[in-house]
Amino acid sequence: MTFLRFWLIAISLALTAQGTAAAPARLTFSWLTNVGPLNPHLYAPDQIFAVAMVYEPLVKYQADGTFAPWLAESWDISEDGRIYTFRLRQSVTFSNGEPFDAAAVVANFNAILAERPRHAWLELTKRITAIEALDERTVRMTLDESYYPTLAELSLSRPFRFAAPSQFRNGGTADGLVAPIGTGPWILRSTRLGESDLFVRNERYWGERPALDEIEVKVIIDPNARAVAMEAGVLDLIFGSEGPIFPEVFARFKTMPTFTAKVSSPVETRFLTINANRGPTRDIAVRKAINHAVNKDLIVATVLAGTQVRADTLFAPTVPYADAGLKPYGFDPALARKMLDDGGWRLGDDGVRRKAGEVLTLDLCFIGPDAVAKTLAEIIHAQLADIGIQVNLIGEEESSVYARHRDGRFGMIFNRTWGAPYDPQGFLSATRFPTHADYQSQEGLPDKDQIRAAIGAVLRTTDENERRTLYREILTRLHDAAVHLPLTYATSMIVSKPRFGDIPTAPLASEIPFERIRPEAR
Amino acid sequence: MLGFILRRLLLLIPMLLGASIIVFLVLRLAPSDPAMDYLRLSYVPPSPEALEHARTMLGLDRPLITQYFDWLWRAVQLDFGRSYATGRPVLPDLMHFLPATLQLAGVALVVTLGISMPLGMWAARHSNRWPDHVVRLVAFFGVSMPNFWLGFLLVLFFSIQLGWLPPMGRGGWQYMVMPAIAVSLMSLSINARLLRASMLEAAGNRHVAYARLRGLSERTVERSHVLRNALLPIITATGMHVGELIGGTLIIETIFGWPGVGRYAISAVLNRDFPVIQCFTMSMVVIFVVCNLVVDIVYAWADPRIRLSAGGSND
Repeated sequence: MTFLRFWLIAISLALTAQGTAAAPARLTFSWLTNVGPLNPHLYAPDQIFAVAMVYEPLVKYQADGTFAPWLAESWDISEDGRIYTFRLRQSVTFSNGEPFDAAAVVANFNAILAERPRHAWLELTKRITAIEALDERTVRMTLDESYYPTLAELSLSRPFRFAAPSQFRNGGTADGLVAPIGTGPWILRSTRLGESDLFVRNERYWGERPALDEIEVKVIIDPNARAVAMEAGVLDLIFGSEGPIFPEVFARFKTMPTFTAKVSSPVETRFLTINANRGPTRDIAVRKAINHAVNKDLIVATVLAGTQVRADTLFAPTVPYADAGLKPYGFDPALARKMLDDGGWRLGDDGVRRKAGEVLTLDLCFIGPDAVAKTLAEIIHAQLADIGIQVNLIGEEESSVYARHRDGRFGMIFNRTWGAPYDPQGFLSATRFPTHADYQSQEGLPDKDQIRAAIGAVLRTTDENERRTLYREILTRLHDAAVHLPLTYATSMIVSKPRFGDIPTAPLASEIPFERIRPEAR
Repeated sequence: MLGFILRRLLLLIPMLLGASIIVFLVLRLAPSDPAMDYLRLSYVPPSPEALEHARTMLGLDRPLITQYFDWLWRAVQLDFGRSYATGRPVLPDLMHFLPATLQLAGVALVVTLGISMPLGMWAARHSNRWPDHVVRLVAFFGVSMPNFWLGFLLVLFFSIQLGWLPPMGRGGWQYMVMPAIAVSLMSLSINARLLRASMLEAAGNRHVAYARLRGLSERTVERSHVLRNALLPIITATGMHVGELIGGTLIIETIFGWPGVGRYAISAVLNRDFPVIQCFTMSMVVIFVVCNLVVDIVYAWADPRIRLSAGGSND
């Protein structure tokens, strides 16, 4: 008996010891799809968070809106704002051992610029006229004119990130890469189509060594299935600002001691664009009344279970240049009714207002399968009915809703800003083009030309004071015209197992800083 | 019989051609723009230049008729193009995912038949007594419960509460249990009730009474004289269940993280990924036609009257 006990203990000890030694520190996460082949210079199907795990920028966007040295350890900008000279960090190599030097930077920029139409959405690709290696560690970039968001666009997760030139096909990246080799803290080790992707730590990483050995990304489409997987112990982390789980489910995780649940600081604004160029919302009194009639605190507390923050302006005041001292349209249904009365919209027997035969009715368009948007739309419908505005709820597939953005077939439509580092410049710049719902709305504003001219000017100016003044002018004009109904500042929801410690967040909402996750005890 | 099968297979060609035209046109009737979806998936703001570039890249700038014939010419060579969303060739990806779906649907079919048959026979044998009531109750729940809801309940109970079965993924038989039950419960319930009704009807026939008078055992009467005649509606129903099971599998895959063609197809529908939707529809047409053909063959085999009236021989 003693003999048997001895062997049992010995075997179990051996198994335990082996288990501890062999088990890598792995974190299991989930995403809607496979991460893609990971080419920083192409787009779909590559997932941004994964691109950012493997490839790095010259400069890194910081939470306070500034830029930290990253692959470039320093840089100079010429007086006229046209010439940027980057000094590259020493002893950085790609994960295959290839040196990261000026030649690699120039090769990557050339690969990007060879495909300018693909990147035309990004102003910087149109501005760059030359990129040269001055020596092994110095790169000079010349623009045709000054463009102040240059560093912001260089810090984006794509396309200005660097793949090992040895992996280029046909001298470029447009035809794909041989393998996704970057300088970042992670290497994409394997992909199982429709099932999962596996990242391992880059042992050659120049920065601080990640504590985790591996990141497994499982493919889970459905938010409920994701929550179930978390609860069943299949996942270690849920992270995302795109509704990775439903708000009420998040609230439930928050009450469970076996999980840590928190939200990040705000990453972008969710709002409705109100169409100033169609139907009764052409009348500014109607637009302002709508802004006073919706109880956002109620929405945040109920539908969103406190996972987002009430928004009073198009951009949160913490967004660079957005603290323009705008006066919020507070929740005040009585004032809203008075505004409509004063504007000549008289309440009919059916509870709907009319003016000169025109019925105060408008279409509110949302993505039908989006349960949260649907509930928000229903609440707004009820609150506007309360002041005599009839709202028609139009829930459609995502692509049909975006078609409405493009051609202006909406009274109000769900919209969002782009988050850091695009806000405010990238978002505002896009409103100058007809594909944006805001463009369609602005068409109905008497000062649309001034607004668009000011947006053009703010992107070019090198004068900080002028920039500040221009932003104040643009944001004030838009706020006063009440072409938006800001709803909430969205956050990322983060649910994790406590043993992974406090999960950090990145200044860019699209990135997940896996390399900074420190499990409490290995 | 061979001529019958060949004729049916030849009919596939006009059916596929018709389906391809309908799918191609219906997809393009919707007021949406796949180029816009491509940019959305890429997280690229849809500036006019970006849209134009995406349209050219996806070949959407050409006339519709050119797009169709170009697609058709490639499709007959089994080249269904590349997915707008993933950039990968469609057919190899579909073939990668299809086996998992067919496996799940196949197991669900076995579960459907394997459980519904004994249940239906048991209920018929004890008609209007407690076994019949139990089967009725089970069938009532099975038919009323949406499969995705049942899927979540199963996960909640067996994975989260009891920790017996893995909640998602594909692996050993343990991974198969809950999805197969969730997919098959409805078909199983319908089949059990159908078999019961059909057996009771057959049991009322005179030849069954004569069989009993001939002194045959109850077991022989049930097997050879009641069940055989009661099977015909079940064969037809099974043909329909195959469609239901594949359809159910497509939904259930999303819940159980089953890496099948359903998730691939649903993502494609949401993203207006035309090449994937077209290829998926064509393959479903083939699968359904082949399944119907198999049902017809089995039907003819089971019922000599049909095979003889169809001009076949009795050998």
